[in-house]
Parts: sequence; structure tokens; C-alpha cells
Amino acid sequence: MTGFLFKRLLQAAFVVMVVTLIVAWAVRLTGDPALMLTSGSANVTEADLARIREGLGLNEPFLVQYFNTLAGLFTWDFGRSFVGGTQVSLLIASALPATLALAFASMAVAILISIPLGIRAAVSRGKWADQLIRITSLIGLSFPNFWLATMLVLIFSITLRWLPPSGMSGWQSFIMPALTMGVILTATNVRLVRTTMLEVLQSQYIMVARAKGLSERTVLYKHALRNCAIPLITYMGLQFGGLLGGVVVVERVFNWPGMGSLAFDAVAARDYPVLQSVIMVLSLLIVSVNLLVDIAYGLVDPRIRTE
Amino acid sequence: MNKKTLSTTAMALLLSAGLALPAAAQGTLTVSSPQDPGSWDPIDTFLVNWASVATNIYDGLTYRGPDMELVPALATGWEELDEGTRIRFTLREGVTFHNGEPFNAEAVKFTFDRLLGDEGAAGPQQSNYTSIDSVEIIDDYTVDFHLGAPDPVLLTKLAGYGAMIVPPQYASEVSEEEFNLNPVGTGPFSFVSYEPRIGINLEAFEDHWGGAPQLANLNYRFITEPSTAVAELQSGGVDLVIPPTIPIGMISTIEQDPRLSVVSTPGPTVYSLRFNTRDGITADERVRRALIMAVDRDTIVEAILGGEASVIASLQGELSFGFDPALEPLPYDPEAARALLAEAGVAPGSQVQIDIRGNDATFNEVVQAISAYLAQVGITASIQPYETNVLLNDIIPQGRTGAMFQQSWGGWTFDYDNTAYSMYHSGEKWNPYDSDPELDALLESQRPMTDRDAREEVLHEIARYTAERALEMPIYNLNAIYAVSDRVQNFVPAPDSRLRLTDVTVE
Repeated sequence: MTGFLFKRLLQAAFVVMVVTLIVAWAVRLTGDPALMLTSGSANVTEADLARIREGLGLNEPFLVQYFNTLAGLFTWDFGRSFVGGTQVSLLIASALPATLALAFASMAVAILISIPLGIRAAVSRGKWADQLIRITSLIGLSFPNFWLATMLVLIFSITLRWLPPSGMSGWQSFIMPALTMGVILTATNVRLVRTTMLEVLQSQYIMVARAKGLSERTVLYKHALRNCAIPLITYMGLQFGGLLGGVVVVERVFNWPGMGSLAFDAVAARDYPVLQSVIMVLSLLIVSVNLLVDIAYGLVDPRIRTE
Repeated sequence: MNKKTLSTTAMALLLSAGLALPAAAQGTLTVSSPQDPGSWDPIDTFLVNWASVATNIYDGLTYRGPDMELVPALATGWEELDEGTRIRFTLREGVTFHNGEPFNAEAVKFTFDRLLGDEGAAGPQQSNYTSIDSVEIIDDYTVDFHLGAPDPVLLTKLAGYGAMIVPPQYASEVSEEEFNLNPVGTGPFSFVSYEPRIGINLEAFEDHWGGAPQLANLNYRFITEPSTAVAELQSGGVDLVIPPTIPIGMISTIEQDPRLSVVSTPGPTVYSLRFNTRDGITADERVRRALIMAVDRDTIVEAILGGEASVIASLQGELSFGFDPALEPLPYDPEAARALLAEAGVAPGSQVQIDIRGNDATFNEVVQAISAYLAQVGITASIQPYETNVLLNDIIPQGRTGAMFQQSWGGWTFDYDNTAYSMYHSGEKWNPYDSDPELDALLESQRPMTDRDAREEVLHEIARYTAERALEMPIYNLNAIYAVSDRVQNFVPAPDSRLRLTDVTVE
């Protein structure tokens, strides 16, 4: 087990290194932040630009700049934003909880919708309820999330005036963004729940449970669902990692002060420290979730450990 | 006097004072601004959306409001001495900063020493004020600015950005970061709270030298996405959306809502397609004139920009110092264009490449239309979109553009020199192709002039000269577009987005 863990940890560290290295290198191809900072000014000379670059630490060799950012992971000091000079750690400290909260809310929406629907579809396999659920989930899967977001805003904020159209303020503000992301996850999850449930429902112990005269509800939710749990949790764990990376569009539409919009603005402003740190923290989180899933697998199934 | 009488007397005094005072500030205005500048320190940023907030927190020695007139602010008057190399300012007395510090000559000297010293050197504002050599305190309320050379735009530049007066004691006691996040000035609104990337809240500063503002609270929310800002406006989450947020395409949505309106004013930004005057067919002045005359710019402004722009004859809008109403744009005349092209020996079907910024949807449409117009006089245009930074860093300054390239430009000072010098003087970064000693001489001659009329005359001459040589296809001056809820009263749009919201009231 120790060997397995060590191998997986090394792999995770390697992935984070590669991702951040590519981001750090690629963002430097896109233009000069000193020029971005002064593009409103007509009197800027080359000397001014050189002075600003010096001030931003851009004259250091690339690898030194890169390792300084990487070191931030251990010291929680990611340097300062090029725009306004705010500490990047401060920005991340406010953006990360916002993104995590939204991701959890979206997962909750997805789980609350997909499990009952998936079970229902499995139970009524081939009947109209199954067909309806499968078609609806296909429609859900086909929605572009920005369109769904815009429609929700149009209905619930502008016409009905029930919910705030953007920003993070109180539980009401979570409803639309979480629904937007949750509905799209739901579509795949319903199908997954249905398939795993179908498999479980074929097994003998379910027949035994039914034969014992247990209520259908107890059979489905207590006996069958528990046995579906492992593949579901694994899949949703991975989904959660994906959510963290995929929130950019939704965060932008809802003006959500999270990591996605932070990264987006940083790209536009060539704000290297912010962009690199956001990507580093996100990739670390995603890799960690994957690692946890791997370890859980390893614990459950000894065959994976020796692979 | 016992305690009770004391308090009764105090009550009576308070009551009578209350009756004598004008109605206290009331109501909250929420503004949607597209960008968080990240720091509220005047020396840290050039961002327009810094200024749209900070113009309420800080004062300069001079002030320029929506009418574009330069008026006294923290300086009550000034006098240009020694042929424009020394300016003496008389300062306003009895002014305090929001934290109670007094405003005086020392605050002015501190502000400019800071801007022009090491602290300012790390930021982008210093370069705008390098004409100032030093600030000398004459007495508590008099200062002399010593200039290396006369700077005709300096008085305007003192009305904004890096020249905002900061409190010496506070700014030197607290850390740089603390000041960035907790700004203190003398302006009509004082700072309450700031959440990075979410918003900043201000409240009325009752002791402002210009009188207390009408609003009690002024809150800004940072919303980048235009549709989100408009949704907030429609649902009452914000009362005012400031530029640059609203794209032309969204104006009709706003106007359909009876509770909202669009208010606009000519803005600072002008759009043009400049020519490669060194190589290819556009090296010929006749060809350049022909290409301009081939394009119906009035129709473009009406059809694509919904009338929210005006056609220009030189690289400046009507509010710019140096704008000459007598200078007319070249007419739309495809016949004459074809004749000029034939005269220059340009064969029908000749190619030109137009380099543009890929992310500017409205201008993309404009260029599509231009390419269709060019096709009608036998010129085939190919449009080459670039990522903005690539175009600005690697393509234009290196002289690697096609025959034509997008240049959108504008400075908050609204002085034609700001544009003309960078665009036309030999060796300037934005002038990769042209070198014209006569034009260089004109550009250099106006810089030291302190006589405004004489300088304006030279700026007119520069504009005429560049139009005659057809150095670019001037297209339009875009309006600054505001979206306003009908709750808001007395709103006057500012061309430079530096909105001071002292007279605004809300229902």
C-alpha cells in the first residue's frame, strides 16, 4: 500500500508541475503586462516600461519566476497582483470558498435530482416513465449552460423579480448558478444511476429482500442504493473535480466572485501571478480529489493496488 | 449650569442648527462598473474605472466636470510664470481630508514628491507628470510647480488620476497595501468598505468644501458581463451602468424597458484604420484617399453603431482640444475613388489586408462593412483578426501590419497632442511607417506653447495636414454609453467616465 501511495503522490506532484509550467510559459507568450498597465497613457517611454517591468519582477529569469510561484504553495505567499498590487493570497482566500460553495451546491442539486429520477427510471425500465426521464435528461445534457443561465435570469430575476440576477449574497443567490451547473450534471448522473441500479436490481439479494416482504421503498433506497454507492461516489468525486475547473462560464454570467472569474480577468489583464496561482491551486485540488478516489479504490479493491 | 440645562441647551442648539441646514444627504445609488482596479491609490493605475469611482473620493488642484471646463478645485487660482516653466497655485483654505487631516501646501508637495519619487516609479502614473521637476512650498496655502519645460496639458492632468491629493500623515503612516485598500481623500464621498472584485461602498462626506452631496451612500458593484449588468439594472439591483460596459447591440434591449434609459455623450475614443504608408499600394497618397472615399462612413455610423458615434475627419472627436469643426471628412464618392485608383494604376481586384483586434465585436462588424464597400471599387480586402495584445505589441510597433490596421485611441485629457504626437512623430512606437520632417516640426512646435489659442491653431494645422496626406481612414468617435434606471434624477453623463455623483438624487 505504501508503494502504491508513493507512486500516486509522485504522479500527482508531476501533473501539478507540468500544468503550472505550461500555464506559466504560455501566458508569457501573450504579451507584456507593463504595456497592458500603461496602454491608457500616451507618454510612456521604453524607460518607463523597463522600470515597470523591473517593479513587477519580470526581469528575473523565467524559471526563477516560476519557482517563486510554486514556492507560494508552501508559504501561502503568491506575490502580488499586477493590477493594483493586491496580495494574490488574499484574492484566492476570498475566491476559493466562493467556488467551493458553488460547486457543493451544484453537486447537491445534481444528487437530489438524479438519484430519485435514476432509480425511478431503472424500476420502470422500458416503460413511459423511463423513456420520459431518459429523454428529459438528454435535453438537459444538450443545454448550453450560458443559455440556461440567461433564461433563468430572464424568468426569475427580471420578470418575476424573485432572485438576485448576480453576485453572491445570501442563499437566494446560490439558486440559479447551482441549478445551471447542477442540471447539466444531472443529465449524465441520471443515466449512471439508472445503469448501476439496473445491475443491482438483477442480483439475488434484492429478490430475497423483496421475498421477505420489505416495502419497495426500503428495498430500493436501503438495499439497492447502498450497493450502487461505490461507483456513484467515485464518479461524482471526479465530477466535483471537473466542476472546479468548469465554473468559469457560470461564474461570469452570474458575476460570481470565484476562481473562474478571477482566472478569466487575470488572463485579460496578463496578470501572471494571479493566473498562475489560481491554476496551481485548482489543479492541485483536482489532482487531490483524483488521488483520494484512487486511494479509495485501492483500499476497496486490492487488485488496483498491485496494478 | 447643571447637567440637565446643559443637555436642554444642547438639544435646542442642535434643533435650530438642524432647521437651518439644508436637507441632509439621503438615499443610496448603486453603480455597476465593469472593472475592479485592485487598488485605490492614485499612483497605482491608469484604469478608467479607477477614476470613475475615485473622482468621488479624491480632489485635484483643478477639476474638470462633464462640461469639460477646467475649474478651480483644491487650488482656488493659478498663475503661469517664467514663460510657463513655473505655475503658482493658491490653495483653498479650511479643507480637511476624510480622516480629519488638514489640506495645505505640505499635502500638495507630499503628493507630488510621492508620485514622482520611488513609490510612484513602480506605477504607471509617473510618466504622465514628468514635466514637473519639483513642488516648492511658498507658504501654507501657496505652492510653486517648477517645470522642466512648459506643459500645456498639465492643468488638465492635475484634475485626475495620479495628481489626486493624498493625506501626508495617513499615507506615510500606513503601509502601501493599507492605503491601496482604504483610500482617504478630500472628495465629496468618503470610503466605507471595499471587497476585492465585488464592490466598494462610499458615504457622503458632509464637510466637503463644495457642500455635502445629495446622496447618503454611493455603492459600486464590479460587473464585467454586459448582459449581467443589464439584468441587474432591470431587476433593480443597480441603478446605473457606466462605460465601458454596454455594447451597441444591447441598447435596444434597454430602451424597450420603460423604467430604463440610455444616456450618451461623445467619448474619448476614436476609431480608425491606419495605412501602411511605406509599402504596397497604400504608399500612394491617391490610393489612400480613394480607399477613404470608397467607404460610406455615415451609413456605418447609423446602421452599425445605432447613431452612437460621429464621423470624424481627423483622429479626434468634437470634445478634443484641437478639434476643428471646419475640417470636413472626405466625402463618400465611389466614382471619384475608382478614378483615383485608376490614376494610381491600381488594377481592379488588388488585395489589401486589414488587421484588427479580434475581440472587438462592434468594430469587427464595421470592418466587414468597410470590406464590402472596398469591393465595390474593385479592392479585395482580407480581414486579419489578432489578439489585442499581439496586435499592439508585436504587429503594429514592429511594422508587420497589412495595408491597413485598426487603431482605436483616446486619452482622458481630450487633447489632440496626446494622439497626434504618438501617431505621427517620427520614431514613435505607434508610427512604424511614416517619417515626415514637416509634420515632426509642427508637432514639436506646439508642445511648449502656453498660449492656448496659438497652440490650438497649430493643432488644427496638424489635423489638416494629416487629413491632406490621408495618413489614416478616420472613421468615428464613439459615444460613452450609460444605462440609467428611472429612480435616478439629475444624472449628467461624463465623456471621460469620471462621474462625480454629488448632484444625483434617487427616488
